[in-house]
Amino acid sequence: MSAATSNRDKSNTFRLLVPGVVWMILFLVAPIMMILYVSFWTQTTFSINSTLTLDSWKNFFASEAYVGALWTTIRLWLIVLTLTLLIGYPAALFVGLLVKSKTLSTILLVLCVIPFWTSFLIRVLAWRPMLGKEGAINIILQKLGLIDSPIEVLLFSELSVVIGMTQIYVVFMVGPIAFMLGRIDRNIIEAARDLGAGFGRIFWKIVLPLSLPGVVVGAIFVSVMVLGEFATSGALSGRKVNLLGNIIVTQVGSLKWAMASVVGVILTILLGIVVAGFLRIVDLKREI
Amino acid sequence: MTQSEPIFRMEGVTHRYGDLTALDDIDFVAEDNSYIALLGPSGSGKTCLLRVIAGFEKPDKGRIWFQGRDITDLPAHERGIGFVFQNFALFPHLTIFENVAFGLRNGAVKVSETDIADRVTDAIDMVGLTGLEDRSPDQISGGQKQRVALARSLVLQPKLVLLDEPLGALDANLRERMQIELRAIRERLDVTFLHVTGSETEALAMGDKVAVLDQGQIVQYGTPDAIYDSPAISDVALFLNRFNLFNGELQGDTFVGPFGTVPVTAAQPNKSDVYAIRYDRTRIFSADAVDLPGPALPVRYLASEYLGSSIVFLFETKDRKTVEVDHHLSLGEPRDLTVGENYTLSWDPAQAIVFGKETAR
Amino acid sequence: MESKVLKPILAVYVGLFILFLYGPFIVLGILSFQQGPEGGPQFPIISWSTYWYQHLFGLTPPSRIAPLPVGEALIRSLVLAFMTMVTATVLGVMAAQAFRKRFRGAGIVFYLIVLGMMVPGVLTGLGTSLLANNVVGIERHWWSTAFLAHVVYTFPFAFLVMLAILNRFDGSVEEASWSLGVSPITTFRKVTFPLIFPGVLSAMLFAFTLSFDEFPRTLFASGRDQTLPLAIYGTFSVEIHPNIFAFGVMTTLFSFALLSVYGILMALSVRRAKKMAMQEDIA
Repeated sequence: MSAATSNRDKSNTFRLLVPGVVWMILFLVAPIMMILYVSFWTQTTFSINSTLTLDSWKNFFASEAYVGALWTTIRLWLIVLTLTLLIGYPAALFVGLLVKSKTLSTILLVLCVIPFWTSFLIRVLAWRPMLGKEGAINIILQKLGLIDSPIEVLLFSELSVVIGMTQIYVVFMVGPIAFMLGRIDRNIIEAARDLGAGFGRIFWKIVLPLSLPGVVVGAIFVSVMVLGEFATSGALSGRKVNLLGNIIVTQVGSLKWAMASVVGVILTILLGIVVAGFLRIVDLKREI
Repeated sequence: MTQSEPIFRMEGVTHRYGDLTALDDIDFVAEDNSYIALLGPSGSGKTCLLRVIAGFEKPDKGRIWFQGRDITDLPAHERGIGFVFQNFALFPHLTIFENVAFGLRNGAVKVSETDIADRVTDAIDMVGLTGLEDRSPDQISGGQKQRVALARSLVLQPKLVLLDEPLGALDANLRERMQIELRAIRERLDVTFLHVTGSETEALAMGDKVAVLDQGQIVQYGTPDAIYDSPAISDVALFLNRFNLFNGELQGDTFVGPFGTVPVTAAQPNKSDVYAIRYDRTRIFSADAVDLPGPALPVRYLASEYLGSSIVFLFETKDRKTVEVDHHLSLGEPRDLTVGENYTLSWDPAQAIVFGKETAR
Repeated sequence: MESKVLKPILAVYVGLFILFLYGPFIVLGILSFQQGPEGGPQFPIISWSTYWYQHLFGLTPPSRIAPLPVGEALIRSLVLAFMTMVTATVLGVMAAQAFRKRFRGAGIVFYLIVLGMMVPGVLTGLGTSLLANNVVGIERHWWSTAFLAHVVYTFPFAFLVMLAILNRFDGSVEEASWSLGVSPITTFRKVTFPLIFPGVLSAMLFAFTLSFDEFPRTLFASGRDQTLPLAIYGTFSVEIHPNIFAFGVMTTLFSFALLSVYGILMALSVRRAKKMAMQEDIA
C-alpha cells in the first residue's frame, strides 16, 4: 500500500528523534519533576524521606532570609536587565546599523564574543583586582585626584555583583539586537530620510520597532542566566548578596534537599512567568 | 518499427499536498526507447509527476510499473530510474570524474575499479567533456554541468531517465544546441527520456510523443503533429500558443462568433464553446474584399514582428481581442499593411477546430 | 544630519564598551606577572616576574602557597568535554536531520530540546543530583551524572547550529544520489555529511567549549573528583593568589589554540576550493 513508504519515512524520523527526546525526558524533564516532588518530602536533620508534607514550603515562607533572597533575586534581575539593555542597545545600534562596512561590523561582534573563550569563573574573578580597595579603578580615580580615599563599596557589595553580571551578560543583549538591526532594509531608512524624517523620528518609528524581537530574545537570554546565577554573587559579594541560586547551593551543601527543592520550584515558577511574559511579545521559534 | 513493449506504466496515480491535488487520477504509458516530452504550464503538476515516478514522493493512490515490475512501494534508490535536475544537483565536493563515477562506486552492485574507469571515461566522452575530469563542478559552465548530470545518470545504463526542465537554467543559444544533443545522445542508447518542460516549442521539437498535463491530469497524449494539428481541448490549443481562439456559441451545426455565423461539420467535446484557427492558417484581406474563403473577421492592424522564417502580424478585433497571423516567408512576400487601418481576416472553415459543450456530430 | 553627530559619539561609546568587556581581563593579565611569592593579587606591581607561571607548573621551590590542584582536573575536564562533544553533536545532527521533514509534534519536540539550554544550570544540576541520590541511588561522578547534564546543556546548541545549516542545505543532491541507486545511509555518508561538515565542526566547537567551561551543573552533578571549573571555584573561598590569574591567562591561550585549530580546519576547506579555481585559470 501507499502507506508503506510514508510509514518508513515516519519510522525514520522517529528513529532519528528518539535518542535526543529520550535523553531530554530522562535527564531534563524527569529531574525537574523530581525537584517538584522532593519539595514535598519530609526533611530530618541528616536525611529525607518520601513522606509528603508542606513543612519545607512553610519554612520557606516563614523565613525572612529565604523570602528576602527571592526579592533580592527579582531586584537584581530587574537592575541587571535594565543595565544590559541601556548599555547594550547603543553598542548594538552602532554595530548592527550605523557601521556601513560588513567586515568592521563582524570584527566588532567577534571582539565582543572573544572574552567568552575565557573561563566564566576567571572572568568573574577578574573583577576582584579591578574593584577592590587597592584595585585598578580606585588607583586610577585616586591618581586622577577625583577621590581622596578608596571607595570601599565597589567590591563585596551588591554593586560589585551588578557590575560583574552586567559585564558578563551584556553581550547576550547586544548580539540579538545587532542581528535584528542588521536585517533592517537600509532603503526604508533612506526613504524615510528623503521624506524629511529626522533621526529621532526614524529611530522611534522604524528602528526601535524592528529591533524589538532582538530586545526580547536578548532579554530572555539575560533573564534566564541572571535568575539562575549564584557564582557571581558568591564570588563578588563576599556572601552579602544571597540569590535563590545561592540558597540552593548552601542547602544542598548541608544536605537539606527538600528546602533546596522548594527554592528550585520557586525559581522555576519565576523563570516560567518571566519567559512566558517575554514570549507573549515575540514568537521565539519564528525568529530563529 | 514494431509496437514496443511499454517500459513504464502508471494507473490511477493521485497525489495531494494538503488540500491541493497535484496529480488527479493519472493513467500513463511510456513506450520503450523513445523521447517523451511532458508539457504543462507551471502548477500543472508536471514536476510532481516526475518526483512520484522517481520515488522522491509517494502517491496517495495508484500503482506504478517499470519494466513489468510494480515499483510503487520501492524507495528511489532501488528503482533504477535516472533523474536530471533543473539545477543539475551535482555533488559540489567531488570532481567531474567522481560525480560521474558516484553511482558505480556507491551503488548496491560492486563494480571493479577498472570497469569504473572505463565506463566513466566513455560517459564523459559521450557528452563531450573529455579533459574536464579533474575539475570541480563550480569551475564549469551551465551547459557543461548539464552534461555532467546527464553522464552521471547514463553511466548506470538506466532504461528510463527523467529530466526535470533540464534546459530551464540555460540561455537561449545553449538551449537550442542542447535540444539537438539530448536527442542525439538518446538515440545512441537504448533508453527512454521523459522530459518535463513548460515550453511548447521545446516539447513539440523534442518529443517523439508529447503528453500535455493540465491541472493534474493528462489531457492529451500523442505525436507532436497530432497535438499540433488537433488539440483535444481548447486549453491545449491555448497552451500551444499557435491558435486564435474565439469564444462564442455552438448552436447545432453552426457557430456564432465575432466573425458571424459559421457552419460547423464536427466539434470536440470541451468545457466551453470555442472556435480555434491556427495563426498560420489565418489570412489577411482588405477591409472591402468580397471573395473570402470563409468567415469574415473585421480587425484593425496593430504591429508586426519578424521571426526569422516568418512574420507575425498582430490585429485587434472590435472588442479589443488580439488576433495573430503567422505568415511564412516561403509563401512569398507579405502584403504591406498600414498601422491603424482596418482589414478583414478569413480562413478555410475546414481548417478550423471547433470545441463545444454539447458535442455536435 | 543628526546621525553625523551620533555616529562619532557612538563610535567612542563602543570603544568604551569594549574596554568595559576587556578591562578586568587586562588587569588580570597584568597582575599575573606580579612578583612572587610575596606579591598579592592587587596593585601595585612590586616587580615584574613570571613566578606565578612557574608556580603553576610546579617549577618554583615549595612555599606556603599550595600549587593549584589543576593537573588531574584539567584531564577530567578535557575527557568530559570530549565525551560531551561527541554525544551532543551526534544527537544534534540526528535531531536536526529529522526536522527536515514535517512531522506532528515538531513544535513540542523543538521546545523540549531548546529547554535544555534555557533551564538554568542550578536547576538541572539540582534535579539530576536529586534523581541520582534519592531515587536511583547511584553515586555521582563527573563521567556519569555530570556527563548526562552536560549533554542536556550542549545538545540544544548543536541542534540549533545543525538546524541552521540544514535549512540552507539543498536537498536535491541527496535525491540525485538516490536516483543513482545509492542507499540513503550511503548518501548521508558520502554526500550529506561532507557537505554539512563545516556545520558539524561548529557544533562540535560549541559543545566542547560549553562543556569545558560548564560550572553550575557540574557543581551539583559531579562527585568528589573535581573538574577544572570546580577546582577554580574551590580557590574562591580561600585566599586568592596571582597564580589563579596566571592560570586564567593560560586557559585563555588554550581556548585560542582550540579556536585556531577550528579556524585552520575551516580555512583548509576554503583553500582547497580556491586551489581548484586556480587550476582552472591555468587550464
